[in-house]
Amino acid sequence: MRRLTAGLWPLTVANVKSFYRDRASLFWTFAFPIIFVVLFGSIFSGGGTGFTLGWVDQDRSPASQQLRGAFADVSILVLTDADQAAALEQMREGTLDAVVVVPAGLGEAMTPGRGGPPFQLTLYTDPSRQTASTTVAQIVSQLVGGVNLALAGVPPALGVTTQTLQTQSISSAAYFVPSILAMALMQLGVFAAIPLVAQREKGILKRLNATPLSRATLVASNVVMRLLIAILQTVIIVGIGVVAFGVTVVGSLVVVAGFIVLGAVTFLALGYVIASYARTEESANALTSVVQFPLMFLSGIFFPIDFMPEWLQPVASIMPLTYLGDALRQTMVGGAAYAPLPIDALVLGGWLAVSFLLSARFFRWQ
Amino acid sequence: MSAMATVGDSVVSVVDLHKSYGSVRAVDGVSFEVTQGEVFGLLGPNGAGKTTTIEMLEGLLRPDSGSANVLGIDVTRHPEALKERIGVQLQTAALYPNLTVVELIDLFGSFYAKRRSSKELIRELGLEEREVALSRELSGGQRQRLSIALALVNDPELIFLDEPTTGLDPQGRRSLWDQIGELRKQGRTILLTTHYMEEAERLCDRVAIMDHGQILEMGTVNELVTRHFKERTVRFETRPELTDERLSGLSGVQRVAHESDETVLYTSQVPQTVGALLKLGDELGLEGLDLAVRRPTLEDVFIELTGRALRD
Repeated sequence: MRRLTAGLWPLTVANVKSFYRDRASLFWTFAFPIIFVVLFGSIFSGGGTGFTLGWVDQDRSPASQQLRGAFADVSILVLTDADQAAALEQMREGTLDAVVVVPAGLGEAMTPGRGGPPFQLTLYTDPSRQTASTTVAQIVSQLVGGVNLALAGVPPALGVTTQTLQTQSISSAAYFVPSILAMALMQLGVFAAIPLVAQREKGILKRLNATPLSRATLVASNVVMRLLIAILQTVIIVGIGVVAFGVTVVGSLVVVAGFIVLGAVTFLALGYVIASYARTEESANALTSVVQFPLMFLSGIFFPIDFMPEWLQPVASIMPLTYLGDALRQTMVGGAAYAPLPIDALVLGGWLAVSFLLSARFFRWQ
Repeated sequence: MSAMATVGDSVVSVVDLHKSYGSVRAVDGVSFEVTQGEVFGLLGPNGAGKTTTIEMLEGLLRPDSGSANVLGIDVTRHPEALKERIGVQLQTAALYPNLTVVELIDLFGSFYAKRRSSKELIRELGLEEREVALSRELSGGQRQRLSIALALVNDPELIFLDEPTTGLDPQGRRSLWDQIGELRKQGRTILLTTHYMEEAERLCDRVAIMDHGQILEMGTVNELVTRHFKERTVRFETRPELTDERLSGLSGVQRVAHESDETVLYTSQVPQTVGALLKLGDELGLEGLDLAVRRPTLEDVFIELTGRALRD
């Protein structure tokens, strides 16, 4: 027993010290995911709740006031009054999703029994923002249709009440916070290859091998250190999610922690596989980049797998990060499942087993 | 193995050791003994097999065949037991660049059952002022002293030093020699490798000259030199007028050799040879002929044995 524990804690402390004195690893481990959280948070919380509509009233009649009231009653529309030039400028700047112009003469045109061509409202939309432009166009034509029917004195026979349904109250922040945590855990593990190869290349591993320190202790201290960092990353990333973006953690903390540990260890084993094939620090750097980008972008952590081209979907369905992201989303914020939790655990465990065997077979100490 | 080893006991015993890498025979049948309290040097050029030999004795490499007993322990059977009791300084090993001197000494100390205090080691190796410096900020000489401090952290009976002064400036080298001399005075046994013959002459009680994986010659420096050379050498800067033909005719000269831009005369009668040489110089009208008379060195022994210089 002494053989395994001797040096374990001092070596772990030494690894942690080496780690926090290295700015590059600090950046990738903490700053990078934080930047991601803040960036994603700002992008999504801006557009998530509704659409901003510029309201240009050139008529200024009781009828136009009434029409404005009808638009204002639509809960997902936020109206901003402006003159035409200012409204269009704001739309170009991106603060407005669409602009409605009510030309002078509306009040007159709405007099009951008046014939002739229909009075025209003008709707400006931006086709490059597809969701916003189609939704606003639909709302506007629905409203206009309703006004027409009311003027004709025909009561509507059919109406629709819209209700939203979500498994939990899952905001977009709640979707990406577990994803970014999964990404951070992946990078933490995969990037472990770089110091490992550097230590081998410089002869540090060989020097340790000349002491009674066992290799099992050496690996164990690496695992312990990475898990400590994983805990810290989790606290920071989830903390920002909770404080800044109103994410609530709903799942069992034990299950969440279990997946964080499983994920961290799986990707650390993958890091050891990389370290088995890379001979120099430079090649370890290159290889981790080559590995981490497909891991990240071919997995379902940043957008649902259904959005991927069909030929890529099978690739995503074997990526370990898909399942870590899925498991964390389910257990942390109650997100919809891509796979049941036992399958998530099984796929991650499979990757862990294969990586462990490969690195046990091919890892070189000197 | 008793802890009360006395001078003269065998500490390292190597018999017919072999190690090949593919078709390269790195160590090809090496045998030697090192006794308690002596400083034993493996001397040879790069690639001679010194490091491979020493790393087999440290339990880092497995020999292909042959036997090696260190402190009474079979190195292939119980490398862990061996590692507790030896001190090791590797030729290429860097240290964690982002740890301080005291952190590294404490870290390595934690690996051993028996350990010395870091304060004491830092004082002993003159690293007091660099105690809290990161290892990457140390000079070459300081780093080498730190790596010797790490080799002493378990108070070892036997210390392996692989090329301890390579890459140091002359001052750093001399200070490290003093350090090694201290260790010797403390009665520790030291096995070192070097390709500097001054180092071997200065530090080693006995040396083994290695080349191409084999030991060519073994003994004290004196024994080796007198075994090969009865003569002394007279050296001077080569002049075109002083042809080998003229020089070999001088009184007492037995052989004429050339080392880089120097001419070397081997003679058994130094005064006669020097007299004749000066006279010849006068006759040819040569000025400023700068003579040096030396006893042959290990370097000469090495050239004699291999036909090439140590640093080639």
